[in-house]
Formats: sequence, C-alpha cells, structure tokens
Amino acid sequence: MKARKRERPRYAKPRRDSYVFRLFVAGNESNSSQARQKLARLCEEHLKGRYKIDVVDVLKHAASAHKNNVLVTPTLILIKPLPKVTVLGNLNDDRQVLAALRLTGDER
Amino acid sequence: MATAKRRAQRRDAGGPHKGKKELPKVSTGIAGLDLVLGGGLPAGRVTLLSGGPGSGKTMMGLHCLLHGADAGQPGILVMFEERAAAVRENALSRGWDLPRLEKKNKLYLMDARLDPEAVVSGEFSIKGLLAILDQRIKVMRAKLILIDAADALLHLYNSPLRERRELYALHEWLLDRGLTAILTAKTVPQEEAPSRYAFMDFMADCVIHVDQRVTAQITTRRLRVIKYRGSGYGRNEYPFLIDENGINIIPITSNVLQHRAPGPKVSSGQAWLDEVLDGGYKSGTSILFAGTAGAGKTTLACVFTRAACLRGERVLYLNFEESTESMVSNMLSPGITLQPLIKTGTLVVQSYLPEAMGVEEHLFHALKNLDELQPQHVVVDAISACKRMGSDQAAFEYLMRILNVCKERGITCIYINQTAGLDIVEEISGIGVSSLIDTIILLRNLPIGGSVVRQLIVMKSRGSKHSEQFHGFRITDRGIDLVKA
Repeated sequence: MKARKRERPRYAKPRRDSYVFRLFVAGNESNSSQARQKLARLCEEHLKGRYKIDVVDVLKHAASAHKNNVLVTPTLILIKPLPKVTVLGNLNDDRQVLAALRLTGDER
Repeated sequence: MATAKRRAQRRDAGGPHKGKKELPKVSTGIAGLDLVLGGGLPAGRVTLLSGGPGSGKTMMGLHCLLHGADAGQPGILVMFEERAAAVRENALSRGWDLPRLEKKNKLYLMDARLDPEAVVSGEFSIKGLLAILDQRIKVMRAKLILIDAADALLHLYNSPLRERRELYALHEWLLDRGLTAILTAKTVPQEEAPSRYAFMDFMADCVIHVDQRVTAQITTRRLRVIKYRGSGYGRNEYPFLIDENGINIIPITSNVLQHRAPGPKVSSGQAWLDEVLDGGYKSGTSILFAGTAGAGKTTLACVFTRAACLRGERVLYLNFEESTESMVSNMLSPGITLQPLIKTGTLVVQSYLPEAMGVEEHLFHALKNLDELQPQHVVVDAISACKRMGSDQAAFEYLMRILNVCKERGITCIYINQTAGLDIVEEISGIGVSSLIDTIILLRNLPIGGSVVRQLIVMKSRGSKHSEQFHGFRITDRGIDLVKA
C-alpha cells in the first residue's frame, strides 16, 4: 500500500525548477526576441511557478553554444525533465512547441 | 544595403582603370588545378565547388585546406553532412594526418550536423554556428574555410526565399572576415539545369564543377571551371584522378604546339631496314607500325629497342598486350634478349591492363614513367588495345597526350597498331592520330603456296626518301632478315 502511494504524482509542492529550459539567442535579433517572449508566455500559461529559463546569448558565449552543439538561433533545449528536447526556430507554432515539450493534454 | 555597397566598391576596384593588376590568389596545392585557375583560388573570396555525390569535391576542398595549413594558412572545415571522425579516417587512408594539424591549431574540424531529432518551429538563422566559428577564427588566425555540403544546410530552411537570405548572410560574413572560402554543394552547372541553388553560382566569384561519369564501365572524373570573376582560366574539361597523393589534374591538351624539330636518324637495328628507310628512323618523331596479328610488329619494335639500348639510349616500353615476363621470353625466339637491358635500367617495360583504370590514371602513370626514366624512345604496344580504356575518345586522348609530350621533349614515339585487315586506310593509321604520325610502316603476312610470306612497306615518311617497294622479310633466330626478291 505504501509503495503505491509513493508512485502517485505529487501535487502538493510544485518545485520551482521542475522544468528547466535553456534558450540560446543571438543578441536582440527578431527571431530571438520572439522566441524569448513566446517561451515566457507558454511557461506562464502551462507551468506557472514550476519552471526556470536560462537565456544564453551565443554572441557573448560562443563556447557554451559550442558545448551544447547549438548551431542555429534561436535554439530551445528542455534540460529537465529528461529526455532532452531540442526545438529550433522562433517558436511560432504553439501547438507544435507544446507537443514537442510534452505539455499537451492534461497539464500536471 | 551592405551587399550593394560592397559590390559597388568591387566594381570600382575592378573597373576599366585596374590596368594589369592581378587578382590576389591562393594556391590550391594541386599543381594542375593552379595552372587551370591561373594561380589558384581568389583570395578572400568565395569559390563554389559543385558536383554530384562521390565526385570528389570534398577531397578536393580538403586538399586545398591541408595545403594551406602546411603553408602557414590555418583552415577550418565545417561539415553539415559527414562526421568529423569519418573525415579523419578517410583522410588517413590517403595518408593525410589531420589530427597532427589539429593539434598544432592549423586545422579545425567543425561537426555542424544538426540534431536529427530536433523539432523545427518557425524561423531561425545560423548565428550560433557563426559565433562559434568567429571564436575559432580568432584563436587560430584562420585564413581558409571549407564549408562542406552547404546544400544540406539550405535544405533545412525549406523555403527558397529564406535559403537565399541565409546564404547571402553567410556570404557577407565570409567576406567581412576576409576568408578564402570554398563551399561545396551537390548541384549541377546552371547552364545544364537552372536549379533552386542557381544563386549560389551567382554569389561565388569562382565556380568549379566536378563530375564523375562512367563510360564503357570505366569511371572518369572531370573538372571544369565555369566562371572566375576577374581572372582568366582554362576553359576545357580536365580529367583528374584521386590517388594516394591526393588530387592530380592532367590538362589533356596543351594550347600551344611546341614540338621540337626532328633529331638525327637512328638505326632501326637492321642494316637492310635502315637502307629502306633512307638511313633509319628519325629520332624525336612519331612512327606507326601497323599490321595484322602475327605480322611481326612487336618483333620490329623490339629489334629497334634492343639496338637503341645497346647504344646507351633509354627506352620506355608501354605494353598493353602481354606481361613483361611473357614479352621477354617470347622475344628470345627471334634472338632478341631484353632481360639484361631491363636489368641495367636502360629499358623499362611497363605492362598495364587497359581496362584496369580510366584514361586519366593511365596517362598519369605514363607521364610519371616518362618523368622518371627520361627516355629517348617510347613504344606503345598496342594503340588498338587502348580503346579498352573506355572508348575511342579515351584512347584518342591518351595517345594524343603521349604523342604531344614526346614531341615536346624530342622523344621518338613508336605506336604499334594491330589491324583486322589492310584495306581500310583509317584503320591502319590508328585512332585518328594519323595526321601527327611522321612515319607509317605497314607489315603483312600473306599465305602464298604452302607458307606465309612476310612483307613490309614504308607507306609514309615525312622528309625522307624512303623506298616505295614491298620488302619481303623473315623472322629468324637472329632477328629480322631481308628476303631478296
């Protein structure tokens, strides 16, 4: 009985870093700004209080881009929860992005 | 805007006032290619290397990059399709040690394949890649860049408009950094089929197309410069081959005929034949022995070869009919010993199977032999077999090239041609090379009565008063003897 209880998802304490995103942008170019705004909005709508976004500017941090094999901007990487997901582009298609990030259907 | 400005500047720089100022160029490290390009690739500009899969464009690009790295111009290889590890391995099979150069910071391999599982949503640009490259360029002081499979990158954009925009952005970026760039792409020349990547041709200052084709089961690689802004270039199609030393280009026709005048007469090896020929063969000229099978063509050539070698002259014998061993042993029967001559190095016999390689490779080997031995005389036995290098055209190219090189260097060139009959003049004179042949000797064996009668006639001999009779001869164990009529 006890074991089964533990397997159930916890609603009680949503942790601030259940979802960790890393968004690679190139300065303030339009696609990058667009992706930044879109990601912030989607997270607020679907993951309020449970997410963290790291924004990395490849123009300033080329080494980090290299390490993460980021060749195009914007690139969004879902670091946590695993498995890792990579989304390229300005995130213009909500449904596609949510599906890729496994955020469709019943929101946890 | 920036593009238009730069174009205008360039136009000014290259306008009618430029005089004879040469475009700065970067050697490719490929001797033949530098010749075709009038010195090399345009420095600080973009060159497009297009061609189908397996045409050798990556190898060619890599050859240039490695040459640059060795010559103090560090380079970066960006790969959109291949894995860095695979490229290293392939290069090693050619004896190119990439890790050695990588360690010295002379070369950098950038694996730019995108994660195939990545989801694409909306527009993006390659700023990330360029930022990474910018950092590398600074660290290495890179001067050259090879962007391999640029078309694979463009495919990703999935929109002609965006493809074009990104490519222009890349072009600008390359020019701003003053890099000498080579882009490879799987395209066909614009004039053959206007493709969606036609603007690539337009953007590049130099466009080289390479291809690989199979004719009669033999593969040949060819290269053509389609354009070169601000520079002259060889406009033909040039065959090339990739061997253990990298890329080799053999311009098939030299544009100037710099043939030397014929040299003194040399003995044919038989006194009576010298008489028939009015003193022997003229050295430095081209001679054709034509005749049916078993007429004694090879024997005639070997009689001359032995005599020449005994005089201390070097002979290169290119044999497409039989192995060296079998030739040496067959010639013992008419009493012509070749083995001692081979041993002392005055005679070099090279036996090749015509269909084993394409015409470029045959040419390459022949020219290498010519350079190494520096012979006074060359025998090709037989030009009829050369057709098996692929086609009549292939044989023609091969024979023309050998003939031209021989005439330029004052080497006597003896072609043996086996004919099916003796009636067709065209067949006798050989695959379209007859106008360049100075002397034609026809051999025949006629069955008369119960035996075979061998005869020989000099059909043509430029600038000498040769006999115009048929002469009967016999092959004995002491060579070729005249049969008095």
